[in-house]
Amino acid sequence: MDLQTEVLIIGGGATGAGISRDLALRGIPSLLVEKGDFTSGASGRNQGLLHSGARYALNDPEAARECISENRILRRIAPHCIEDTGGLFVSLPEDGHEYRADFIRACGAAGIDTEPLSTREALSMEPKLNPLMIGAVRVPDGAIDPFTLVVENVRDAEARGARFLLHTEVTGLIREREGISGVRAIDRITGEAFTVAASQVINATGAWANEVLGLAGLSIGIALSKGSMLITNTRLSERVINRCRPPASGDIIVPNDTVSILGTTSLRVEDLESHEVTPEEVSFLVDELSRMIPAIKGERFTRAYAGVRPLVQTAQTDDDRAISRGFALIDHGSRDGLEGLITITGGKLITYRLMAEKTSDFVCRKMGLHVPCLTHLQPLPGAGRGHTFQDRLLRLRNQVPAFRRELLCDCELVPRETVDAILREGKVRELQDILHRTRLAKGTCQGGFCVYRLLGVLNERRKEEGLGSSNRILKAFLEERWKGIRPVLWGTSLKEEELIESIYKGLFNLTPDEVGPKGGGSP
Amino acid sequence: MKRWDLIVIGTGLAGLTAARTAVEMGAKVLVIGRGMGSLALFGNTIDVLGRIPPGADMRAGVADWIAAHPDHPYARTGWPGISEALGAFRGLFPPPYTFDPVGDGNSLVPTGAGTMRPTYLLPVTMTAGAGMSAADTLIIGLRGFKDFQGDTVSLHLQCRGVNLSLPRYGLEGLTALALARLMDEESFRESLGEAIRSQMAGEKRIGLPAVLGLKAPADVLGTLERITRARVFEIPMLPPSIPGTRIFHRFREFLIDKGATFLLGNPVIGAEVKGDLCEGIALQNPPLLTPHHAKHYILATGRFLGEGLRADTERISEPLFHLPVLQPESRGKWFRERFFQQESHPIHRAGIVTDPELRPVDPGGRVILKNVRVAGSILAHHAMIEEHSHEGIDIATGYLAARRALGS
Repeated sequence: MDLQTEVLIIGGGATGAGISRDLALRGIPSLLVEKGDFTSGASGRNQGLLHSGARYALNDPEAARECISENRILRRIAPHCIEDTGGLFVSLPEDGHEYRADFIRACGAAGIDTEPLSTREALSMEPKLNPLMIGAVRVPDGAIDPFTLVVENVRDAEARGARFLLHTEVTGLIREREGISGVRAIDRITGEAFTVAASQVINATGAWANEVLGLAGLSIGIALSKGSMLITNTRLSERVINRCRPPASGDIIVPNDTVSILGTTSLRVEDLESHEVTPEEVSFLVDELSRMIPAIKGERFTRAYAGVRPLVQTAQTDDDRAISRGFALIDHGSRDGLEGLITITGGKLITYRLMAEKTSDFVCRKMGLHVPCLTHLQPLPGAGRGHTFQDRLLRLRNQVPAFRRELLCDCELVPRETVDAILREGKVRELQDILHRTRLAKGTCQGGFCVYRLLGVLNERRKEEGLGSSNRILKAFLEERWKGIRPVLWGTSLKEEELIESIYKGLFNLTPDEVGPKGGGSP
Repeated sequence: MKRWDLIVIGTGLAGLTAARTAVEMGAKVLVIGRGMGSLALFGNTIDVLGRIPPGADMRAGVADWIAAHPDHPYARTGWPGISEALGAFRGLFPPPYTFDPVGDGNSLVPTGAGTMRPTYLLPVTMTAGAGMSAADTLIIGLRGFKDFQGDTVSLHLQCRGVNLSLPRYGLEGLTALALARLMDEESFRESLGEAIRSQMAGEKRIGLPAVLGLKAPADVLGTLERITRARVFEIPMLPPSIPGTRIFHRFREFLIDKGATFLLGNPVIGAEVKGDLCEGIALQNPPLLTPHHAKHYILATGRFLGEGLRADTERISEPLFHLPVLQPESRGKWFRERFFQQESHPIHRAGIVTDPELRPVDPGGRVILKNVRVAGSILAHHAMIEEHSHEGIDIATGYLAARRALGS
């Protein structure tokens, strides 16, 4: 199977998906390859924050203006991926009034609306805030669901002719005379190798940019920064809660549907797969953030996770093409004499659309086309469909008759019909793919119960297809789950852990013997 | 002021065994629990020590185990103590719903994950599973009952599997408890039996989720076996556990019949200690705190799930008597790097250390409370989950604690 396309996009994060849609809206064919599932990298490992830009207003006004502009666009085009929570910047006694005054001025200069609040006002809005606070500022922060955002971009692009290959890894760049004419790739599940010919190759792999560039003997200056986050079992606040002080670790709490996400830390790492959250990071986040919301001390945490941010080193992005301090668009034709290859990296989730716009503009220039960007005007296809717990409850009531409600997940209300529909689409290839596309394994038990049930649904299909089964998938899932849970095992979480171990190691007698060296596997 | 001979705190298998043992000795017993305890979650068969290979001699196996693990709770009882306690347990379940070993020692029974699990005593509703072979067994799943995935079981066991629907009864979305109650109705299990028979292709054994009734499981088994002309067995599955609920109900029925008092649903929140004696405990019954007094107390509150042990970010503690808890030195050492490892997680071996009479001791080995005994999984020095020893530890130490408390 050898393929051909106009533009080949490497990377299924927000940027790659955004480029795919942007090009599709301009009528340019593209094919996207992703070595895992959508949002496997930083796009799926962040806080889900819809930045207002206020956090950058003082020390990076340009980034702040970019954020607030994209914030307004996303509210228009992706309202179903956003919860308009609003946000507060909270001043504690040690933060002082002076920083707050500067902060409000800087927000004004960047075009970000603010409203100063007294302690009493802030407490009436967010009763769990530390009553010793000295004031707060309201900003237009929000919460965004990155996975839905990406899948919606993909859905729209696909409807307009764009193609996608998941679990497909680029293994080589094909050189022809002065440039790149395509890639060699391998299907990670079937092992099939093939080539894709393309007139433009876009490296949108974020932190993995140098892995791809390395295939052509190139590299750019990227630093890797690990950020760790904690998920609480309940939602602590209605709004995004920021600390009103210069940016630092442990200064933000983002509500996410029924839970809250505490963040973040920032540690330079060398390894792209540095996803381990250390006990020190956990203790730091709990201590630091409990200063804003004291109840955090007694809160139950369901999971810890980390993402690796690609930080573009400004000194080396002076390719005259650095669009912003936040992200870098690099033309390897002018930089390295290798035509047909572009790298887009750095940036933030909130600027994914802008990054896609700039990249697509550049591709158009290369192709000699003059087609304007439409992504800031055209809403995503599912706009108007809600994604909150309440919405799921209502849909469940309306769509599934009461006598037939087989909920695979009781915590997050995932009916079996949802999984059946995903399986019918036929694009899902791994257990984790299904978990990404549903809220399975995201609730209190972190999949302890629902994954057994999900596996049953998968095995039902395997039986129909005459295939066998093994417990490798179940054990690989439990091992993966362990990485997120182990850092937060104390208090109530220990009860859940005893329950899960009693089921899987006790009752089901799953033993380490058959555990493979690596997780995953095809259902 | 009413004074009991014995107060048992905890209604898992350890607490129930202790209460029953004491009642049999003529004691006036108060049993306090928050609910049905772990029986309602995991109670199925009676594991004693799954590490002993199937068919091997239990007496020798346990003796070897104790020699290699001199601190293990079984070292307090030895095989004779375990055996005596198991005998007493079996005495509570007369025919037709009996608990028996299959063969001489451990046997392997199929589970809801399609694996085989070693166990010692099986309820009569599960014995046919121990001798199953792939060729002669049909696994029945119930369409819409999510906590038993029939195809997972049959694919792993490599036998034939069928998912049944009984449209007349609308089984979709039913819980294990609702199904078990339906099974108690003769007309339902006859319909089920007919439906199974219509799917059979010469199989000699039928495996079903463990929901064969709460009241008279042997009757359910009888009906199904009569109609299918095959041997029928239950397969343990995700909690809640129907077979465990039966065990709980049997103990409670017996205890109440023998004059014990049951207080379920309210936590014990404090103990009154004078010197090395417990003088009373306080039961929270908002807005009241009710004190209860006894000559002896048995602490059988379980581990983290039962809240017999608690952990903050630093330490593990025992919240009622504030007994010292043997534990790893810091939180970083509670768990191993991987979920599945050959060695169990160190936190599993944490717990209360006792003298041979099961009285709690301090790190110097001195008895802290002379009239308090500790039984069940809260004890230190075992890894019941990987050892497959949970019920054995509960029964053996619950029995011993009551015998020693009442001076036998």
